[in-house]
Amino acid sequence: MRIFAAAFASLLTVSVAHAAAADEHLEVELVGARDALLSGQTAWLGLRLKHAPQWHTYWINPGDSGLPTKLVWALPTGYTAGDIAWPAPKRFDLGELTNFGYDGEALLPVPISVPADAAVGTRAHLAVEAKWLVCHEECIPGKATLTLDLPVAQTAADTPYRQLFADARAAQPQSAPWSAQARLAGDRIEIAVRGTNLPAALHDVFAVQTRVVANAPPHIETRNGELVLTFAKSDYFTAMAKPLDLVLLDRNARSWLLHADSAEPSTPSTTH
Amino acid sequence: MSLRISILAAFTAAVVSSGAFAAVTVGSAAPDFSLPDANGKTQTLSQYKGKTVVLEWNNPGCPFVQKHYSSGNIPKQQADATKEGVVWLTINSGASGKQGHLDNAGAQAFVAQYHAAPSAYLFDGDGKVGHLYGAKTTPHMYIVDAGGTLRYMGGIDSIASTDKDDLAQATQYVPQALAELKAGKPVSVATSEPYGCGVKYGP
Repeated sequence: MRIFAAAFASLLTVSVAHAAAADEHLEVELVGARDALLSGQTAWLGLRLKHAPQWHTYWINPGDSGLPTKLVWALPTGYTAGDIAWPAPKRFDLGELTNFGYDGEALLPVPISVPADAAVGTRAHLAVEAKWLVCHEECIPGKATLTLDLPVAQTAADTPYRQLFADARAAQPQSAPWSAQARLAGDRIEIAVRGTNLPAALHDVFAVQTRVVANAPPHIETRNGELVLTFAKSDYFTAMAKPLDLVLLDRNARSWLLHADSAEPSTPSTTH
Repeated sequence: MSLRISILAAFTAAVVSSGAFAAVTVGSAAPDFSLPDANGKTQTLSQYKGKTVVLEWNNPGCPFVQKHYSSGNIPKQQADATKEGVVWLTINSGASGKQGHLDNAGAQAFVAQYHAAPSAYLFDGDGKVGHLYGAKTTPHMYIVDAGGTLRYMGGIDSIASTDKDDLAQATQYVPQALAELKAGKPVSVATSEPYGCGVKYGP
């Protein structure tokens, strides 16, 4: 029966109305880059994730298993939250599975637009329900409702999390200045990247969409002045994403977001 | 020059070949296997020729599996399927010492705990059958028809989560495929991407 006690313990989730929550594998906290909100401007908030050694959470494409971290915001009238500005992920090889995500200390930044009529001197109650899956060899789902009260003011100063936001911004893929074309070649998908100043020390490539390319790293080579990325096709491929969004990461931790067009049919050939 | 190019091409193909998982394919014969069950009996796939067989990869410690057991979703699918004469084999490929590895008594207790209704609970501790079928996650589901042909492989349902609240919106692929097979219709979703915990194979 011991196994069942362990099984139920792993279903436990933390749920508190506070800025921070923790279980033994992950600390989560809702943090702001600045200590006040400015009317009509974008405020950057973020989910700070502090993982226990060897544990990780997931990118928007989690890879062969896992789940992306999800945020659902509850904001005052007039406030809107954008999507998570995902930093470039890390690759985790777990036996025969590949996962994409984050370990150590990470931040998932989110832009919050503050309405133009937010009155200086008032306070805004910003709340988010975060859901995650944290894994090492085993996985534990968690969720928490996290809140942050910030004043609406005429000026705002940096918080102690400024560096964390700066690091997350530096890890953000930049829009790639190159063109790319993806094509199906049997059980492979080949992406030709053209342009000037192509990354010379490319380290890895991750597809944002699932079920197009397999999650193993691509073969990377330069051919006739083009950068050619060759992936195995996903076992669950039904149609080419149009465009296929790729995050390219070089050895100096610079990353780019590249949209690969394709001439392949965009609708599946079989019902699915 | 042409020699260099062909060597490079061969290298590329080797690097991106799809890896350790054997590929069973929908529409092909499902490979036979023989595994011990939780009652100490040996179960083979071929002994059920003439019946539809569902294979379910299981790890009772996995939160994705727990979602589908504690909600009653998989136990109900098992009960509904076996009532129709379908054979449901739950397979645990967890290696000794890994999460969810069970002995006979542990497997019987797991089945009793959730009022589960598989035809048998099988052990595949060396992972041979898991690898033969390319089982990646728990759960990972397969349907073999009465003629021994694989007719479905993939996820338990259409919404990857550990949250029971998602069940109501999710398409349950196994009952859907079983109903279609029974009606003599083509299986509308014959493959899907499985989601869950990685199968806890040994080294």
